[in-house]
Amino acid sequence: MNPTLRKLLRKGTPEPVDIDALIGELDFPLVDGPDVTFVFRGTADEVYLRCWISGLDTAQPFQALPGTDLWATTIELPKGSRIEYKFEVIAGGARELILDPLNDVIAHDPFGSNSVCQGYGYVRPEWTLHDPLARVGSLQSLRVDSSVFQESREVQVYLPATFRSNRRYPLLIVHDGVDYLRYADLKAVLDNLTHRLEIPSIIAALIQSPDRLKEYGGDDRHAAFLVDDLLPFMNEAYPLLGGADARCLMGASFGGVAALHAAWRFPEQFGSLLLQSGSFAFSDLGRHRRGPVFDPVVRFMNEFREHPGRPADRIFMSCGMYESLIYENRSLVPHLQAQGMELRFEEARDAHNWENWRDRLRIGLSWLMPGPAWMVYE
Amino acid sequence: MPLRLLLGPQRPIVNLDSAVARSGIGDGPIGVISAAWQEAEGDIDDVQRLVLNPLFDLRIYERTEELFAADKRLHEAYRLRQDRLKEQQRLYRMRLRHLMVAARQTLRTEGEPAVVAAERRHAISQLRALDRHHLGQIEKVHARFDSVFTADSHALLSEYTAAIEDELSRFKTVLITGGNVVVLMNRLRLFGLDRLLQRKNIIAWSAGAMVLCDHIVLFHDRMPQGRRDPEIVDEGMGLLPSIVLLPDAKGRLRAKDLVRVKLLSRRFAPASCMTLDNGSLLLFESETLRDSEAAKRITRNGSFKRVRAA
Repeated sequence: MNPTLRKLLRKGTPEPVDIDALIGELDFPLVDGPDVTFVFRGTADEVYLRCWISGLDTAQPFQALPGTDLWATTIELPKGSRIEYKFEVIAGGARELILDPLNDVIAHDPFGSNSVCQGYGYVRPEWTLHDPLARVGSLQSLRVDSSVFQESREVQVYLPATFRSNRRYPLLIVHDGVDYLRYADLKAVLDNLTHRLEIPSIIAALIQSPDRLKEYGGDDRHAAFLVDDLLPFMNEAYPLLGGADARCLMGASFGGVAALHAAWRFPEQFGSLLLQSGSFAFSDLGRHRRGPVFDPVVRFMNEFREHPGRPADRIFMSCGMYESLIYENRSLVPHLQAQGMELRFEEARDAHNWENWRDRLRIGLSWLMPGPAWMVYE
Repeated sequence: MPLRLLLGPQRPIVNLDSAVARSGIGDGPIGVISAAWQEAEGDIDDVQRLVLNPLFDLRIYERTEELFAADKRLHEAYRLRQDRLKEQQRLYRMRLRHLMVAARQTLRTEGEPAVVAAERRHAISQLRALDRHHLGQIEKVHARFDSVFTADSHALLSEYTAAIEDELSRFKTVLITGGNVVVLMNRLRLFGLDRLLQRKNIIAWSAGAMVLCDHIVLFHDRMPQGRRDPEIVDEGMGLLPSIVLLPDAKGRLRAKDLVRVKLLSRRFAPASCMTLDNGSLLLFESETLRDSEAAKRITRNGSFKRVRAA
């Protein structure tokens, strides 16, 4: 048991006022080196920790602390870990998934929000936070007429603070771009990394699919949209550097699949790929068990693994160690390396979430698109 | 004989004022080249507050932008040259990486001393051969551009160059700031300043000092994406032959990685690798070292020795 809770219970049943005082004083969950104790206060029949991370039970039961309305459970988290979680509270036959009422740290994603547990040693990187010294870029909202989808699609375009029409810029195309802005602070990250000269001034096209599970899952139409609609549009509208080496495709989860698939379908169009926690499901034998939405992904990945070609010159991949996709990501590495592509693979003690992807942007972007810091001697 | 006063980083200003006072450069007006700051060119108020001599920025970066806006053909040719140089650099880097790995491995390996020493020498000679080849390729790219766009044959460029030369004639001393060393060298070369600066006293820090050497060596062991192998990026002005200057070496070099440091020194020998950290100073009279403070030279064994004037 956590030492603080043990101390509370040592003198017998604590008074509610003592519990109130304890809760007021401490940050939850209780992090004691690698041991992390989650605490729930309230009336319940059962309480579970739900954190959907690979390696732990899906539902970790809480123990009721005798004589109190407190429930607690302890897990071990290695240094630098970060996980997202909810509590499952069962009371009077009703089952409810709730955020941790004692923890204000919350991460958001398109499906809602989760409580965040920052294990010991985890510090949010300062370059993900707004830096008042960094000059801020701008966002423009435009519409691309898509011959492929027979409709116009919105694209948000990030322009660097020092944008000048007589310069030429590399292009970064970001799948789920609006989500990256909202949940992974992409704009602040681009502003900061540009300000620190860790990446060059770039133009980023942030795209968002209305049906991402279909279009991002290895769909030829999406790849054609990027090459036949978006690239000509961006080349027309902005001063971009020519050549594949000045174009990078990026995406997370299904967005990673979409990026890899488009580069595979149109080799020599994109010089580099930034793939975060790609949903690279495959099956060596028999059917996969990830559900029908993964059918096209598995078809593509099986074909890709058979005939990888050379989708790009440089690929940066990252994946959380606590994701079920870590196996698929790790196993893709030798396939890509065998094609002579320059590849960097980073693992993090994190799971399948936007903050993981945010925290890996510096290393990924600066490796794929190194900035002029190298040339600047103040 | 012209003086060359070289300093370490001056953002914020560390020893510029005291170094200028001690150099014997005198109290006349000074022309400033702050093109390495690009859009922030001319932002020299803090320098002027500390240096007693009146300062006049020569607006080299701004003039280049004006010239490019007025002369699209020149701009396009310049871009093309830059694209070629980038491609050349990419190919050089591709080959360099493997030779650096091999050279480091030979420096780390143990075995029959005479056999290992011979392989080390050869590994380093291959690196030097690649560096020489790269410099030769860079020279060709520049020569191709220069043969078309000379100040004599190109009216507008000639006009700008003459205006700069005219302004420059007012100054015995020129101060070159730090900043983006590649941008700086490109701008200096465009207006033939490498030739015009030869007889001037020069005060320069960081990038400004690097361009005075035979060639410009980029280095950084602490990039966010990891350490990078030092690479030659361009020819310098050659005003300080046989020296490779390493500004902010404390911040950029992993000095404790003996093999890396040793390799840096041996690869560029017989040129001497000298650090220019905060508070460092090197004063040359023409090519002779007259004064020094806190600057260090990297020996072939990877140790750092204080640079001393004769």
